[in-house]
Amino acid sequence: MSITNLLENWSDFRQQHPSDDRPHREYKWAMSIDLDSCTGCNACSVACYAENNLPVVGKEKFAHGHSHHWIRIERYWDNDGREFADQGAQFLPMLCQHCESAPCETVCPVGATNHTADGLNSQVYNRCVGSRYCNANCPYKVRYFNWYNYPTIDNVWPEPMNQQLNPDVTVRSKGVMEKCTFCVQRLTVAKSDARTKGRSVLDGEVQTACQQVCPTGAISFGNLVDPEAKVGKQWMKQQVDLNKDKQAKDAAEEAVKLRGYRILEELRTYPSVMYLEQLRESAI
Amino acid sequence: MIENSFNRRDFLKVLGWGGATVALSGCGNTSVEDGKEFVTSYVQTADYIIPSIGTYFNSTCAQCDAGCGIMGRVREGRVLKLEGNPKSSINNGKMCGLGQAGVQAHYNPDRIREPLLRNGDKGEAITWEKALGLINEKVGGVKAENVAFLTGGVSGHVKALLKNYLDALGSGHHYVYEAVAPSIMRAANKKAYGIEMPRLRLDKAKVIVSFGADFLGAWISPVHFSQQYARFRKADNGERGVLVQVESKMTLTGANADRWLAIRPGTEGILALGLINSLAAAGLSVPGDVAAAVKDYTADRVSKDTGVSNEHIGKLAALLKERSPSLIIAGSAAEGYAHGSQNATAIALLNQVLGNVGKTVEAPSGVPFPQMAPTPGNRFALQALNDNMAQDKVKVLFSYGANPVFTAPASMKLKENLKKVPFKVVFAHYMDETAVEADLVLPLDSALEDWATAMPEYIAEGAQLSIQQPLMEKLYPGTLGMGDILLALLKQRRPDEYKGYEDFYSYLRSAMVSNKGALGGANEDDDTFWDTALSRGVVKLVGTPVNISSNASAKGLVVPAPFVEDSAYPLHLIPAVSASLRDGRNANEPWLQESPDPLTTIVWDSWVEMHPKTAAKLGIVEGDIVEVASKSGAIKAQVYVFTGIHPDVISVPLGYGHEAMGRYAKGIGVNAFKILDPVFDKETGELAMHETRVKVTKAGQRVIIVKDEGPAGGNQMGRKIAVRMSSSKVNLSEEV
Repeated sequence: MSITNLLENWSDFRQQHPSDDRPHREYKWAMSIDLDSCTGCNACSVACYAENNLPVVGKEKFAHGHSHHWIRIERYWDNDGREFADQGAQFLPMLCQHCESAPCETVCPVGATNHTADGLNSQVYNRCVGSRYCNANCPYKVRYFNWYNYPTIDNVWPEPMNQQLNPDVTVRSKGVMEKCTFCVQRLTVAKSDARTKGRSVLDGEVQTACQQVCPTGAISFGNLVDPEAKVGKQWMKQQVDLNKDKQAKDAAEEAVKLRGYRILEELRTYPSVMYLEQLRESAI
Repeated sequence: MIENSFNRRDFLKVLGWGGATVALSGCGNTSVEDGKEFVTSYVQTADYIIPSIGTYFNSTCAQCDAGCGIMGRVREGRVLKLEGNPKSSINNGKMCGLGQAGVQAHYNPDRIREPLLRNGDKGEAITWEKALGLINEKVGGVKAENVAFLTGGVSGHVKALLKNYLDALGSGHHYVYEAVAPSIMRAANKKAYGIEMPRLRLDKAKVIVSFGADFLGAWISPVHFSQQYARFRKADNGERGVLVQVESKMTLTGANADRWLAIRPGTEGILALGLINSLAAAGLSVPGDVAAAVKDYTADRVSKDTGVSNEHIGKLAALLKERSPSLIIAGSAAEGYAHGSQNATAIALLNQVLGNVGKTVEAPSGVPFPQMAPTPGNRFALQALNDNMAQDKVKVLFSYGANPVFTAPASMKLKENLKKVPFKVVFAHYMDETAVEADLVLPLDSALEDWATAMPEYIAEGAQLSIQQPLMEKLYPGTLGMGDILLALLKQRRPDEYKGYEDFYSYLRSAMVSNKGALGGANEDDDTFWDTALSRGVVKLVGTPVNISSNASAKGLVVPAPFVEDSAYPLHLIPAVSASLRDGRNANEPWLQESPDPLTTIVWDSWVEMHPKTAAKLGIVEGDIVEVASKSGAIKAQVYVFTGIHPDVISVPLGYGHEAMGRYAKGIGVNAFKILDPVFDKETGELAMHETRVKVTKAGQRVIIVKDEGPAGGNQMGRKIAVRMSSSKVNLSEEV
């Protein structure tokens, strides 16, 4: 890449989000999570541990907030002071929202976290110097820092447990920030396979580990650019627009039938994860 | 530079591994280095083994009894991850966290690696030859009736071999024990429907009322039920099913209910009869004798007895009347109490009155091979074994797939009785509490190294034989599969019959191939049939039809009045079965210990759940260490205060509190099994799990609970994070 090329085609190389006039070209990975299907069973979280080499930190470090669950189940109660939680709990799988305008990206002093052309919020481990500014700036608290050298000094994978480690995913060492990647190792393989066949990745060809395991199928994942993708259809039906910070649902009374929303949208982070509201029957 | 640093030996080792995996034979990890193994060069390996590309092999999950089909991702001879087998009708490609952790059972650093013989307080490593010889000598030296075999639930070819071994010894003492099995419900179903385990069609129901059945978490076949639940919530026509959970301690299923009704413990049967009465009053046709039997269960009385409000009883009856078919399920209402069978009978009667039998309660298929049909475990079996041990009737005891020293209540004095048995053989993966007491410990292959077949008790459609096959080479040369051990023991007794089988693999292959006609492979040659079965991981069988009966009758229907207060022990203890730890056999898998409990978000410890009212009365706040004392013992744990529990009840999860087993389980939490009172269901003799009364006193200390939720607890502090709306405001049929 010559400097002339870079300067002349600057806007092609610079990812600016969100913008209607510069849409994603081939891929824009996105997710939707149906909270009415999610039962809070934690299978997604364990699948993520298996797929992405997450260390088990133990009780003491967990108490210090050093746990590494890239996807975690948040559990809320909506009691209003009633004697019992008689409408159950509200479970919410929380993971990196892969914001189009990510607060973590702008504060990284070394450009270790940045936006990829297919809409991922990526984390480059060998660029990361451990300033943890990104963590401080993330409103979703989904970035996890390696305070310890888990693979060696802490030995969280004692022999032969280390044989389970996924060779497609880096084992991170001390001083590095990490987070959900939308299983980028799977995306890379799928894209490469599709390119060999001279086409784009088809809907359903690639699944994230959490989506694959989910017993109720609450998680959909796919390419928003692909008009056939289920996730895109869901976003469209719910009238959630990636590039807006206020949706139809917020505005009009007649739009009350919609249940798609994005968390903390008012912060203008433009997340790539849409949630569908939990439902409760009023007849009982 | 790469050339210089490249180690040719390492390169060959990696490739040799791949070859070894294909052959599924050889001598373990270091075999290439030891020079015992041929190195197969890359050009000769099977064309599906490509370094850096994962290959998938189908097998069956052994983490619980649901028998989900799994697909192991294997790369360079190592199994990396378990995924669901899409061809299994049980889990259709999905999995739970417990199943995922199967790889950690396999790669666990605390596995036993060679046979150990007791020498004083220590275990001395011995050879398999010596171990098996010793067993032969010991069983030969006692009468057959003094040999006892304790197992968990068994099925498939291992069950057939086990039976043959016991027959060869002339002993029928096979105790099938599961600590948290739904055994009282099975008996009640048998009475009501003529079937122990009917098929439940959650997906066809419009309303589900579950009396404490945690079908999304830990009950029977949770991954299968979760998938049905998804269709129940979002049917194709857009109609959303309504879930009402009635229980005294909130389960994961209760946390997902549209209405969670906190009921006074043990009064579930009264509520069921009250609902029948309300339905009859609302015009549902109810047989005369049933109507007469329930006429005294007026809403006022039922509300007073159960603590469920009049309003909710009325709304629930109206809902059941209006939306049909519904499905009523008995979980802890049955297993919990001395009148558990009676509760379950009342609940089944509600199902029958509502006309659900045949619609949402269906007959399963009969299994064509009874010798391989599942023998489900119950709690009574351990009771019977314990009595025999106490009377010195057991001279040689085998234990497989159970950890009775951990799961038996202290009042049984099982550990003491075990000492009366002169020779105890324990087949184990870890040095668990029972293995520590053994005279001979035999290390088993992990479920990802072993051959087996399984027939799950609950099969979603038809009948099937699930195949468990090795996903990689054995990690340790000193372990052996259960099938191989039984075969070796049988060769001692019936050499002529079994000498032709070199190992369990050859037995299994020959047993299946010779029956291929009945296994759906009549038109295939042996190799094709066998390879197809292995590659699919399941063999679909033609099930025999079974009749389900529905004879709604009040005959034998007695539901006792609610419990009386016990002033010395004012609270009811509910030992909770968690989705991750169940009866504690998987406690040494660290993913499960660090996976937060869904309701409390607590990790790496036990806790005592308590309602804020109860806590206030006792002057307790979150994190206080309390002593929970029953008539049978006491435990100490941290208190977690929340509103998902009845004020008369406290709850402690099971599975924690190991004194042995391994680094991730030992010393974590307390064992709630120990303090259970010996109260039994009157009809089946099963231990009634929720009948223990306790008193709670502060022990002085206070800790900060290690949990995932933040300081705000479950409060969103006015932010719109997890949002909920009324289902009447959306049209699900319009959604994608």
